[in-house]
Amino acid sequence: MDSNVIAQHRILKHGSLIYYAGSAIFASGIALFAVGTAFIMMQKIHYGSEPEKIFLSSIFIGVGATMILTGMNMMMRQTRYGYHLIGAGTFASLFALLVFTYNYPQKWYYPLINYVLALYVVGLLVLVGNAFANVVLWMIEGKPDTVMRREVQRIYTDEEIERDIEDATRKSIELSASELIFKEPYAKDVKYGKIFHEKRGTTTRIKDNLDEVTSLVKTVNPGERIKSGSAEIEGASKNLLDILRVGSVKKSKSREIKDKIVDTMERFYSLITVKRGG
Amino acid sequence: MAKGIDIGTMNIICSEKEDGDIVFTQERNAFLELESSDLTKTMMDSAQVLYIERDNVVYVLGEDAFKFATIFGKTARRPMKSGIISPNEKDAIPTIKLILERVLGEPRYRNEVLCISSPADPIDTNMNALYHKKMMEALARKMNYKTHVIDEGLGVVYSELSEYNFTGLGISIGAGLTNVTLAYLATPVMSFSIGRGGDWIDEQVSITTGLSREYVCSEKERGFKIGLEVEYGSAYGALSIYYDALMTYIIKNINRKLSEITPPKVEFPVALAGGSSLPEGFLEMFERKLREAKLQINISNIKRAKDPMYSVSKGCLIAARAQEGEEIGHEEVTEEIV
Ligand SMILES: Nc1ncnc2c1ncn2[C@@H]1O[C@H](COP(=O)(O)OP(=O)(O)O)[C@@H](O)[C@H]1O
Ligand SMILES: [Mg+2]
Repeated sequence: MDSNVIAQHRILKHGSLIYYAGSAIFASGIALFAVGTAFIMMQKIHYGSEPEKIFLSSIFIGVGATMILTGMNMMMRQTRYGYHLIGAGTFASLFALLVFTYNYPQKWYYPLINYVLALYVVGLLVLVGNAFANVVLWMIEGKPDTVMRREVQRIYTDEEIERDIEDATRKSIELSASELIFKEPYAKDVKYGKIFHEKRGTTTRIKDNLDEVTSLVKTVNPGERIKSGSAEIEGASKNLLDILRVGSVKKSKSREIKDKIVDTMERFYSLITVKRGG
Repeated sequence: MAKGIDIGTMNIICSEKEDGDIVFTQERNAFLELESSDLTKTMMDSAQVLYIERDNVVYVLGEDAFKFATIFGKTARRPMKSGIISPNEKDAIPTIKLILERVLGEPRYRNEVLCISSPADPIDTNMNALYHKKMMEALARKMNYKTHVIDEGLGVVYSELSEYNFTGLGISIGAGLTNVTLAYLATPVMSFSIGRGGDWIDEQVSITTGLSREYVCSEKERGFKIGLEVEYGSAYGALSIYYDALMTYIIKNINRKLSEITPPKVEFPVALAGGSSLPEGFLEMFERKLREAKLQINISNIKRAKDPMYSVSKGCLIAARAQEGEEIGHEEVTEEIV
């Protein structure tokens, strides 16, 4: 099997693993939530109930809700930072619940309640928001298909894998080539002809002061050209150069970057006019 | 002081500044193997031929390789093909190294800045310029130069388009390759090469006319004028036709690459350089075809380099001196602070 196929296999396996774990967490979450709700109803819990009972039902529902959202998120295909967001959201709400368990009921007063509640809600909102964003992305792309298969194919398209591999290869060539040392097995045996070291080759002299050097230095460091109050110009031109330095941008990507370029260009042009020849 | 070097398929050209002049030192990128005997060596020494000897084989280097090739009825070998180290020449690297050593000479001080031109990756052949680039850098570094590499097309921009703030399209049409760089304020926006140049013309004309490649090449270089009025049987008609085909091919590819990027909306001047841009009528024909092609960018004016053969090398020298100047500048600044 070639390495591409193996990589793809691994990725597929990885994807389905997350998917199954997610569904397990989701199911457990539903169960916990249901148990919690049932508990509230059966015990007829209200504001004045025994703290132990309130505590228990809060934990069931709180953990259940978090697990439902986490599981749901894991079953969806994620954007680039999706898994980080899921982790952060889950951690925030679980941490809030942990603080709750340590402090309830003896130390359960304001303003601590504010902080804990806020943390919990923020965690949940991150999870909800992430899920929502993914769903919207899907709908935009018009592919409301089964979750997992899509996910795997979308995150790592062949093109992306190829590009990654090419990047890595390029880097490794670059690195090792910079460290090339020539052993020159024949250097010792070479006998140089008489004129080899006498002169260096055919020469041509052309009168030229090479004023281009100064212009080049000025063009590359525009900061030196406009000395005072030039922070904005420098910033704009640096921005522009950074964008342009990306080199040849593929059409699909160019659309994203286009607006940025146009924006920067306009700012830039209002400040500097490029000298044009006639 | 700094130096620049253009390592081309046909010519290796070093440039440096001396008083008010730029001095270009050049050598053909070619070699020829001959059997060694005392007689040949004595003969070559007295005729001032450039050669080295290794394992009882004499290698004639540079321009002389061509002369001897004709005398001995052989063909001179070339260490580079299509702009990069020839994959089929095992002697390529040692030979280039020798020619480089000679043309460059020793650095005048340790870590003198040397800017090397390199082809950009070609879009029409499956080859990678990276290895070549790194190899050339390694060779020069071994000679104690501080190396720095720029694309050939950018070299043309540096040497020909300074009055336009180094904004424009630099095109170098050499022997093995045509290199193109679109620069904006000295920064390359797009850079690529095309696997056709003077060699391609020689080859095509040789195939269609049955004349030998060497003959076609020498006819081409002997002041031929692009045009369609020709005598029967001469190579000129075929040369003009293939020059036309080459230009069409270059312009088509430029347009194709331009459609993949979003270039700044300014007018871009165009500078043509390289040995293959030398024939009379080249500029006019290229300009006409370029204007007809309706490129994705606005072209202001088109010019040919003052010295097309030396343009890339001079661009490298400019880059090298700019870099060296900057380094010195920074050093001064730090000294002031201290
Ligand atoms: N006067 C001329 N007319 C047409 N072509 C020429 C002339 N002089 C040189 N050439 C061609 O230019 C090419 C070499 O140009 P050069 O820029 O040195 O190439 P490279 O950089 O690839 O070594 C060769 O193909 C050569 O035949
Ligand atoms: Mg060249």
